[in-house]
Amino acid sequence: MNGVSPGIATPAEQQGGVPAAAVNRRGFHLARDRVYTVRYGGYTTFVSENYSYKSETYYAILARELAGEAVAPDTQSMLDAFVVPVCLERAGHCGIPVAAYTIMHSCAPAPAIVYGLNYFASTSHFEVLTGDARDREKVRHVTNGGKYPCCSQPISPDMAVTRAVSVFGKVLSPVPGMQEMAGSVWECFRIPLVELVCLSGPGGPVLSSLCPVRYSRLQPAERRLLKACIFGQVFL
Amino acid sequence: MSRLGIFVDRRTLSSSDQLTSLIRCRDAAEEMGHSVEFIFPVDIRKIPQMDALFIRARTDPMNITYVASRMAAFAGIPVIDDPESIQVCSDKVNMYMHLARAGVAIPRTLFLSKEDIHPSRVRDIMDDLGTPLVLKEPSTSFSLRVERVEDPAAFIRVARRYLKMSDWVVAQEYVQSTYDWRIGVLRGRFLYACKYIIPSQTFKIQDSVNGHVVYCAVESVPPDAVPAPIRDLGVAAGKAIGDGLYGVDIKDGKEPKVIEVNDNPSLEGGEDGSYPHVYREIVHALLET
Repeated sequence: MNGVSPGIATPAEQQGGVPAAAVNRRGFHLARDRVYTVRYGGYTTFVSENYSYKSETYYAILARELAGEAVAPDTQSMLDAFVVPVCLERAGHCGIPVAAYTIMHSCAPAPAIVYGLNYFASTSHFEVLTGDARDREKVRHVTNGGKYPCCSQPISPDMAVTRAVSVFGKVLSPVPGMQEMAGSVWECFRIPLVELVCLSGPGGPVLSSLCPVRYSRLQPAERRLLKACIFGQVFL
Repeated sequence: MSRLGIFVDRRTLSSSDQLTSLIRCRDAAEEMGHSVEFIFPVDIRKIPQMDALFIRARTDPMNITYVASRMAAFAGIPVIDDPESIQVCSDKVNMYMHLARAGVAIPRTLFLSKEDIHPSRVRDIMDDLGTPLVLKEPSTSFSLRVERVEDPAAFIRVARRYLKMSDWVVAQEYVQSTYDWRIGVLRGRFLYACKYIIPSQTFKIQDSVNGHVVYCAVESVPPDAVPAPIRDLGVAAGKAIGDGLYGVDIKDGKEPKVIEVNDNPSLEGGEDGSYPHVYREIVHALLET
């Protein structure tokens, strides 16, 4: 690459996709920080617990993208998914019901769910404003003392925050409408392992954000589903 | 008449130079018969009502500028900086990959992960790239998180610090110079040129020396005084990244090499002193092509 060495390969690249441990299914376990690759629908699909910007997964996918390989998710989808307003705009364009939001610097009317919008913010961390005395401190926290803006989503009294882990667009959640939501999010972003944070009310769930998922947080049934997907059983 | 949105944040408005530059941009657009509206982060929903968007705030895929750029892209309106340019230029790994893929001359460069940061590998890297060498955290800007290291111990110390912010870091051959060329490129064409004269106390265009921030001097260079190889290299580097507005930094020498390509290049320091029509050309590119 003309003076550029790509440096060290990611674990997935070193082992040609599914790691050696996975060849023997009985001994297979989802190892922390490990990246697994699955060929699906003409794409090399990266399964990871960390799709964040400048992560090993991000750079592994970037290198493949620039080499002309069809990959999922692509790096733009990774960026889009975890910056809340972009996530909602893109999801909305994909026909997914999304939460209403505003960008604010300080006060947000309660009740609302607020996300930080800055270099250090993570969608895994949000605050729910309930209208009590602690709201001001919560907003100060996500805006880093008012230095950065935040994304505020109003919650109506009949709404609740619901979460579900999507594995290749499939969820085990009993919440009505969540399976359709997960399928649509998978079609829109192509992120095989992601948590949906939704605001659920009488009209069904609306998407609030997407979060990364640690393998260690998966329920046993979700873990089995992910393993089945990595081995290609679910796609047959 | 078209509507140009200029996206700014509080930091953009914090210096008189920035303000003056924004007013020059607004005046240029209005002289061309367009209206201008400054858009702040809380007004982001106004973006789809604009005919074009010009972002004048520090860009990063993780901050509000990326939201603004993506909103413009979703609405199908022209935007500088476009989301892809922000993504590429904000990350030096991505940027150098693009330059290398296009065959643009850059200093010898390695991308390293934490598995590389041990004494024997570091010695190999220093033998390969020479000493001193430069370590960069990929999302650095304004020369922050760029350090010159002279020995393996310093290499490991700095690299470990940067690896807390990114899973890969950049190690690069050190190219000594007293100034950097800055070539402005717009839509694949030469736009302006200047020199950043590096302060004698440092090797960077901006640095903190003994607790004081030192800045480079800016010297605008008229078009006929720009060497053709520098100009051509700058344009080639801009094209390697995309179709937007870029400031390409080049180290002069026997073989000129691109040090980096910046989206959202500074225009408030006198960079365009010999090029009075820079803002007109930017407005034209956004609204009239």
